[in-house]
Amino acid sequence: MTIAALVLFGGLLLAWLLVPAERRQRQSEVPQRITELPAEAAA
Amino acid sequence: MGPIDSGDTAWLLVSTGLVMLMTPGLALFYGGLVRRKNVLSTMMHSFFLLALVSVTWVLWGYSLAFGPDAGLGLIGRLDWLGLEGVGPQPSATYAPTVPHLAFMAFQMMFAIITPALITGAFAERKRFKAFVLFSVAWSTLVYAPIAHWVWSPDGWLSHLGILDFAGGTVVHLASGVAALVAALMVGRRTGLLEPATEPHDVPMTVLGAGLLWFGWFGFNAGSALGANGVAAVALVTTNTAAAMAALTWVTLSWLHRGSPSVLGAAVGAVAGLVAITPAAGFVTPSGAILIGFGVGIVCYGASLLRLRSRIDDALDVFAVHGVGGAFGALATGVFATVAVNPAGRDGLLNGNAAQLGVQLLGITAVAAYSAAATAVILLLVNLVVRIRVGRDAEEAGLDVAQHGEIAYQA
Repeated sequence: MTIAALVLFGGLLLAWLLVPAERRQRQSEVPQRITELPAEAAA
Repeated sequence: MGPIDSGDTAWLLVSTGLVMLMTPGLALFYGGLVRRKNVLSTMMHSFFLLALVSVTWVLWGYSLAFGPDAGLGLIGRLDWLGLEGVGPQPSATYAPTVPHLAFMAFQMMFAIITPALITGAFAERKRFKAFVLFSVAWSTLVYAPIAHWVWSPDGWLSHLGILDFAGGTVVHLASGVAALVAALMVGRRTGLLEPATEPHDVPMTVLGAGLLWFGWFGFNAGSALGANGVAAVALVTTNTAAAMAALTWVTLSWLHRGSPSVLGAAVGAVAGLVAITPAAGFVTPSGAILIGFGVGIVCYGASLLRLRSRIDDALDVFAVHGVGGAFGALATGVFATVAVNPAGRDGLLNGNAAQLGVQLLGITAVAAYSAAATAVILLLVNLVVRIRVGRDAEEAGLDVAQHGEIAYQA
């Protein structure tokens, strides 16, 4: 059981190592959500 | 081995919950101090560690820190890997009247908050992935050995007779020094015109400080490991030192800046809590007043010095936890008395000057090891993933750049 738990946690560590450090695609998405509010208010 | 004491067990379990609450409290304390574009990333550091170290502590951390000695009093063996052999029965070594698992869980909360304290130094510019790798390594290679040195009966500092009731050296000095090293190695935040930024939410920080103060009753009084007189002493000294340090800090800021700072009251209380941590179960309430007063002055001065330096320890972790932890450990060697706790030792004022030497040796060893090991870990992590975010990400804020979320919609 302990070995299985260690392997599982090791898998998580590996996933953290492999996943991209930053999410470049979505950096522009959040500001868009903010600018939606004034646009609706203007309409 | 005696039977389980229900009172002791109840108090230790409640204390475990109190100390657990300190980490979200720290998240609020730090979260309020940073700029609004970095509040989520800063809070995430503490909250993520609550999850991360909970797992590593069960898997290997507890065994390395408190397991049977591997030799020379430096680190525990992996006999208790995955908590093998750690069960509902008491441990004759650590807490003979409570389940071993309860003691383990209580210590887990200390292991969680210690690396969380460091995160204030590199707030607003550290890459999340680097933070995760650093935290796993630091918790394993720095916290666990130092906890073994001081709190295992086979630890080399324990053999020398160091007094550290609840972690002045293990928690605060180790994390404070690591924070200083991290601040130096990660570098200053981009585009700072002033040596410090304005907090984006002081009420959040004050609430965080209040939760820390509340949780600290478990941290220190829980370290008596029983519902007894020493726990009561520790609770009273903890509250008294926090109060006195807050009063001192506010007074200094009033004299120095012309107004009684609210933020100063919060930071001052935390400084007092830090300093009383190693002393809580060894000194009298009057001693706690002197410790609170002293640490208020010393840490206020340290934070002023930091502002004049080029070191961007963003949330003054070294000035409060490093300096406050060292001050408290030294003060323990001055004010400790067996009249309060027969299991302790007398300090300088009670005729045992040698205790001050032991405390000084412990401070030096913990600070030196934490500094060196932290530097090596950061260098190695930087080889795997750059520890600092890019300039664009830093300007946009880590909430968006690292987590794809923002704290406030309007």
